[in-house]
Amino acid sequence: MRFVDEFRDAELGRVLAGEILAALQPGRHYKVMEVCGGHTHSIYKYGIDGLLPESVELVHGPGCPVCVIPMGRVDDGIAIARKEGVIFTCFGDMLRVPGSEHTLLDAKAQGADVRMVYSPLDALRIARSNPDREVVFFAIGFETTAPSTALTLQRARAESLRNFSVVCNHVTIVPPLRALLESPDLRLDGFIGPGHVCTVVGARPFHFIPADYRRPVVISGFEPLDLLQSVLMILRQLNEGRCEVENQYTRVVPYEGNLRALEVMAEVFELRPHFEWRGLGFISGSALRLSDAYADLDAERRFEVPGVRVADPKACQCGEVLKGVIKPWQCKVFGTACTPEHAIGTCMVSPEGACAAYYNFGRFAREKEAV
Amino acid sequence: MRVRWLDGDLALCEDAAGATHEVAVELIAPVRAGDPVLVHACVAVARLEVERVDEDAGLDAPAARR
Repeated sequence: MRFVDEFRDAELGRVLAGEILAALQPGRHYKVMEVCGGHTHSIYKYGIDGLLPESVELVHGPGCPVCVIPMGRVDDGIAIARKEGVIFTCFGDMLRVPGSEHTLLDAKAQGADVRMVYSPLDALRIARSNPDREVVFFAIGFETTAPSTALTLQRARAESLRNFSVVCNHVTIVPPLRALLESPDLRLDGFIGPGHVCTVVGARPFHFIPADYRRPVVISGFEPLDLLQSVLMILRQLNEGRCEVENQYTRVVPYEGNLRALEVMAEVFELRPHFEWRGLGFISGSALRLSDAYADLDAERRFEVPGVRVADPKACQCGEVLKGVIKPWQCKVFGTACTPEHAIGTCMVSPEGACAAYYNFGRFAREKEAV
Repeated sequence: MRVRWLDGDLALCEDAAGATHEVAVELIAPVRAGDPVLVHACVAVARLEVERVDEDAGLDAPAARR
């Protein structure tokens, strides 16, 4: 398919891998974080890590939207889903994310009307068709997905739909990156920037990384050649002593982002003072809630929820995986007690989670290497 | 996905596997049939700039042309 096949060309991939090898400085170790879960998925799916020399280490970042939802928020969702007359809707991944005792899928099995949707617009359709039921959408995602929730809320408002509301768990990518850069646990040399988030927010929000922390950022696409080209661009910046935000994904990401989407988001959402991230704890200004103008469509104000903070299971090391401190296979329960079929941690639930991506694609190459 | 048919702010878009999906396109208007678009949760958030494709993977770089 045009615009995809060009970026999966094996011969060009080998050329880029050769250029990366040629760009290495002897004795130097390069530690690069891919921020986005979509990148993590592509890296393992296409074996990008296997094409890179050992001195280029890819570290997985916190950019998987399902992975960062804390257990307490899942419990809040389940509490709403169990209320009489509620149709609870969410993306498919979210159904299997563990709360303190149950998942939304468990709640469905126990009788709650929980339905999987592909879009908040699907939830709106369900609300139109069921005027006597309360339809709730459990919104998750970074700035890429937030515009679809915002657009849906605008439509609900325009139609004066009274039986629709949203549990807003949308998060923003910059605050956790700043938290990671402040963390003494982690030394990073550069960042592969989240291409899809940048289609909405543009490149500007990432300038603090070179300005305040002297680290390069390359906004990247998601195909194998995109990722190899981005790694090469980061190595070149480091070798030349440059620290800039560069855009590898120019075919999709305009520098200023999508201004219309940002306008819609600004009308519908406002920043939460703080929000809990699974494994990362509370981070200031890192999530969105509905603005006062949309308060009547806010499920958290419409329904009573437990709102209790729940500690992650002791065995699960998703927090360290999300911070890039350990690799998925270094977690104590990886591939044994925790598998995609029976996930303990969120990183094993979503295909964008580092553990699931590694379990589904990467482990075979590693097992072969070990033999 | 690629826009196949348009009706105001709603488009019918075709994915890589040939399946069609209803997509809201008001955030990237104006859109024309044939445009390649990036879609998240049935909402188009970006239009692909065709003239930039070669640039992205270094396809126009000397090493790639060898």
